[in-house]
Amino acid sequence: MLQKSKPVIYLFPATVVLFLLFGGGIWNGLLQSMGYFPAANQYELTLEYYRKVLVSREFLDSFLVTIRIAGLSSIIAGVIGLAVSVLLFILTKEKSGKHGLITQKLFQLPMLVPPLVAGYFILLLFSQSGWVSKWMETFGLIDRISDFPVLVNDSFGWGIIMTYAWKESAFVALMLHPVLMRIKDVWLDVARVYGANSWKYFKCILFPLLFPSWMSALFIVFAFTFSAFEVPFLLGVTYPSMLPVYSYNLYVGGGLEVRPEALSVNIILVCMVVFIGALAFWVSRRWYRKGQGGW
Amino acid sequence: MKRRINLSYYLITFILVCFIAIPLIPLVIFSFSYGWKWPDLFPDQISLDAWAYVFDFGSKTWNSIMTSLKIAVTVTLINLFLALPAANILGRMDFKGKWLLEGLFYAPIIVPAFVSVMGIHMTFIQMGITDTLLGVILAHIIPTLPYMIRALVISYNTIGYIWEEQGKVLGASSFQCFFYIILPFILPGIIAGCSLSILVSLNQYIITFLIGGGQVMTLPLVMFPFISGGDPVIGSVLSLVFMIMAGGALLVMDVLLKKYYVRNVTLHFS
Repeated sequence: MLQKSKPVIYLFPATVVLFLLFGGGIWNGLLQSMGYFPAANQYELTLEYYRKVLVSREFLDSFLVTIRIAGLSSIIAGVIGLAVSVLLFILTKEKSGKHGLITQKLFQLPMLVPPLVAGYFILLLFSQSGWVSKWMETFGLIDRISDFPVLVNDSFGWGIIMTYAWKESAFVALMLHPVLMRIKDVWLDVARVYGANSWKYFKCILFPLLFPSWMSALFIVFAFTFSAFEVPFLLGVTYPSMLPVYSYNLYVGGGLEVRPEALSVNIILVCMVVFIGALAFWVSRRWYRKGQGGW
Repeated sequence: MKRRINLSYYLITFILVCFIAIPLIPLVIFSFSYGWKWPDLFPDQISLDAWAYVFDFGSKTWNSIMTSLKIAVTVTLINLFLALPAANILGRMDFKGKWLLEGLFYAPIIVPAFVSVMGIHMTFIQMGITDTLLGVILAHIIPTLPYMIRALVISYNTIGYIWEEQGKVLGASSFQCFFYIILPFILPGIIAGCSLSILVSLNQYIITFLIGGGQVMTLPLVMFPFISGGDPVIGSVLSLVFMIMAGGALLVMDVLLKKYYVRNVTLHFS
């Protein structure tokens, strides 16, 4: 009897805690997004707030800006991460030295930097009076502070994009690492024998193998950037703001009557993120099933 | 040919080092600067004022560092106690509906924490735990516990039951089994899980702000006004302190746990 109930007892504490805090939070958010608010004697459920949010200009603008920033950050981070890990991989193999490992480790440092601090790096570098602007003046490329383009707290979101491209390229490299580890040294030699150069080796052998992990890493970065709060809060503009900031402003800035709108934005956000996460999972899962015989 | 490869290798490494290190440079210069004006590449005057201001014992900054660490360590300990038994089962057993439980355990990694915290905010107000350390600690469990569980599940995946059964046959109690057989195996996972849990907790801004209501001031909360348009010198110092705090916490834990590991394993074999 005791043996049988052991798994249940072991799983119970963590399950209860996450169920109450996380599940309860989402559930409460869902109820409140439908106007359920016992403290104000509102017990009716309505989809009115979703309608209000979905037809509003602010939401549409925020949504588009969020997609743009998350999309560009994940693509740039993906290209940098892929380029760095593959270049290091090929060069280390050909050089057959041990330096590659240290460089790989070094490349993971940006992941450890707190997001707010990473955003501040970009702000000090690329703001109109930042360090890059100072160098450009020294070289005579610009004359006044205002000659430097607005790259931070700009309405396009370059500051946010640069921060995530810097931070998440390390994550992409980390996700590619286990795949690269499985690639045998001799494959490069075999490819050479058949007349392939490094580029051909990358295009025909490395990239197809890396592609599924790379895609799933991109989806994860996209989901993270899509729902991140701190960096857009620091480097964004008042309008249009990214969805998490938009929801936060509704929640704390508006009165009690707009709070359900903030929570409906949250629920929409969760649906998007879960969808993207499922896509990432599906991409990597499909590869595992198909790839078993492949290598 | 060999030379060309060597050259491009060092070139790539150099570019990479620049890519990682250059963003840090203005921050470090700023933290020691005084009245640094555009377009000077480097400040005329060097000053330690901001460092002195921040490291004034009993100051707001000092207290916020302590609060940050207190919350991160408490959250991590709670996570460890919750995750150890759960990972023991999840990592080694198959049962019906496991995927559902895994969904609950891993979903907070991808679903942003502020969503559930905003939802639970009202309940916390009714319970009277907003503006308290307890409320913030509970809120921090949401984004951190999944990482702890994940790290420990990966460790438990590799053990199986034979080692424990062997210990039982030789007359070891459950307690001895855990300490002398399981623990050395899963220690790398514990280190990874604790590191992630501490790091993620230290990084939280919005959920601390929502639940702490400005009463529970962690370092990111104290830092934010300075880095968003406030004094860049103090903002830079606080950013560096933040990075050092996070790095230091990880290092200390790694060293402590490894020390423990060495002592126990030698005890075990002697």
